[in-house]
Amino acid sequence: MIQKKVCMVGVFGTGKTSLVQQFVQSKFSEKYHSSVGVKIDRKVVDVNGSAVTIVLWDLAGRDEHEDVGASYLRGAHGVIYVADGTRKETCEQIADLRRVATAAAGPVPGLIALNKCDLVGDWKLSQADEEALRANGPVFRTSAKSGQGVEQMFLAMARVLVAPTQGAR
Amino acid sequence: MTGTHPVPDGAPLHDDGMPNAPSSTDDRVAEMSRLRALLLGPERSRLDEHEARFEAQVLTPEQLAEQLPEAIAMRARQDTQLGIALAPTVERAISESVRRRPGEFADAIFPVLGPAIRKAIAETMADLVASINRAMEHSFSPRGIRWRVEAIRSGVPFAQVVLRHALVYRVEQVFLVHKETGLLLAKAAPSDLAVPDADLVSGMLTAIRDFVGDSFTEDAAAGGLRAFRVGELTVMVEPGPHAMLAAVVRGEPAPEFHERVQATIEGVHAQFASALVDFDGDDTAFAPAQPLLDDLIVTVLDTDTPAGKAVDWRPVVVTLVLLVALLGALAVRASTRWDRVIGTLEAAPGFTVVRAERGWWQSEIRGLRDPDAEPANAIIAAAGGDTSRIVQRWEPYQSLAPAFVLARAARAVSGPADIEQLVREVRASRVLFEIGSAVPGAPGSAQIDAIAARLAALHARVSALGGEVEVALTGRADGTGTDATNAMLSQQRVDVVRATLDSAVSGVRFSARALGASAPVDDPDPATRARVNRSVSFDVRLLLPPPIRTLRE
Repeated sequence: MIQKKVCMVGVFGTGKTSLVQQFVQSKFSEKYHSSVGVKIDRKVVDVNGSAVTIVLWDLAGRDEHEDVGASYLRGAHGVIYVADGTRKETCEQIADLRRVATAAAGPVPGLIALNKCDLVGDWKLSQADEEALRANGPVFRTSAKSGQGVEQMFLAMARVLVAPTQGAR
Repeated sequence: MTGTHPVPDGAPLHDDGMPNAPSSTDDRVAEMSRLRALLLGPERSRLDEHEARFEAQVLTPEQLAEQLPEAIAMRARQDTQLGIALAPTVERAISESVRRRPGEFADAIFPVLGPAIRKAIAETMADLVASINRAMEHSFSPRGIRWRVEAIRSGVPFAQVVLRHALVYRVEQVFLVHKETGLLLAKAAPSDLAVPDADLVSGMLTAIRDFVGDSFTEDAAAGGLRAFRVGELTVMVEPGPHAMLAAVVRGEPAPEFHERVQATIEGVHAQFASALVDFDGDDTAFAPAQPLLDDLIVTVLDTDTPAGKAVDWRPVVVTLVLLVALLGALAVRASTRWDRVIGTLEAAPGFTVVRAERGWWQSEIRGLRDPDAEPANAIIAAAGGDTSRIVQRWEPYQSLAPAFVLARAARAVSGPADIEQLVREVRASRVLFEIGSAVPGAPGSAQIDAIAARLAALHARVSALGGEVEVALTGRADGTGTDATNAMLSQQRVDVVRATLDSAVSGVRFSARALGASAPVDDPDPATRARVNRSVSFDVRLLLPPPIRTLRE
């Protein structure tokens, strides 16, 4: 069995947790975020006929008081950065989060989930802003509410991880 | 220049125009090489040195064969890298060999396989015997019986009851976790326990270790979280350089278990050094670690501890022996007492025991009892029997023992109690006289009349039964006066009374004797003694016909 550790990071309130909620097998409750700062879930995806277990480390969101737990990023095979399309500042912090993650985990593959695509009408992002995000990795428009793009995003991550030559590593 | 050295073809001629002689050519060559030596000497020697060193470094196969064993031994002493490097090749070679020539391979490993199989069987048998022993111990110890009762009553399997009471510790889960990623490399659990989310648990365990480490220790190398308790569970974490071993233990793990966990994580690092370093999420390389983890899944009961804690039977045996002895003594005592009761009853006049049954609580006696016999309860109680626990059924009968025949006869002859009463009254009578007198006074005369009346009545009753009445009179005198006077006086007194009665009562035979003062009636008071001895007293005999014979008092 192939297992990969994938960390999810993002600013507080970008919907990381609800993004994965209905797509993963959860054992631990939300309260781990506020206590330990991380919640671990599992997502099994199929890549070219073989099952890959993505062990998702859903890190507590960054806010003005608390940075992301750098020690939880250690050993990650991949990082999913989550931004909220309706809040431009959450996108602006992706580059900084990437710097933190790279310092802890090394230059591992990363991708960006641009969340709340069901509210795309309310998005405060220009085309240029979205392009700027691509500098940090492939961007997937996702919606925790409708489920749109989520499966594809995890699958893309799994593909990158099991074929390391295609990734940044 | 000697000019004797030959000169090679095309060599430049000397400017003296002399023809090229061979000898001069040789000289030139020598000259040239001298020149070369002068000009290039140091470089040349360095070149030679390098050449020699180069040749020394390239080993011929012969030299390699010479040095290989020593080199392998040397490296193996240094570290495990050689083994790690050779392992894949050796494994491939072995599997190839097995695939191609399985027969030869089987022959080769047969000497190893035989003892290994025997050892495994022996160990299995030993385990089996041990578990049977434990089962037996559980079955027959007081504790085991108590547990069985509990198991039956509560409907819980016996094994679980034993586990609940005797459990020292039980290892319920073992995780081998890759330290950096928190990913699960291998896990083990008892067959009856499922661990569905081991990968999540191992991840969360790593996260919590990181969290605790970040929160409380500054030095990451200090080892971090090593153990924590959750209710009855202890989670032991033994970190190694690249992986950690987490054991979830119910109860109190013994120190030796901790040592085993340490030894296991060391073993894992030795065996999987490169796999741990190169780990990229594929846990298949760690499948061979499974037996190491399985070895840690143990259940230790306090009944497993051998000598010293064995059940001490001595108090139980002593108590039982005492109890049996006590019960035996009680039974013997009860039996002897019963025998004595029956024996006494059988020996008692007027009793015939027909049937005697002794029971644990109540006993029964049936038989015949003469109504004249003593009360049965009195006899039983005297013999030590408990009458309240003996049911008695006595049928009346007539015993032919002389005492009973006589008693019945006495009842028959005396009929109504008046005969005996009359006899008693006459016997108790005494006719008193004044000092020195042989003439009864007024009271004495009245007494004689009364006696006469009783004797008449007695005669009437006895003669009706065909018998006779004899009355013996005894005359006495007090101790004063001479013997002759006393003898005479007593004779006179008895004669007077006899004559009076003789005339008053017919059919009764009288006899008389005079004792003087020779056999006085005794009395502590001298005055009373003197008075009662101045008297005539009476004895009565009834003569009855056969078979009644003589009734004695």
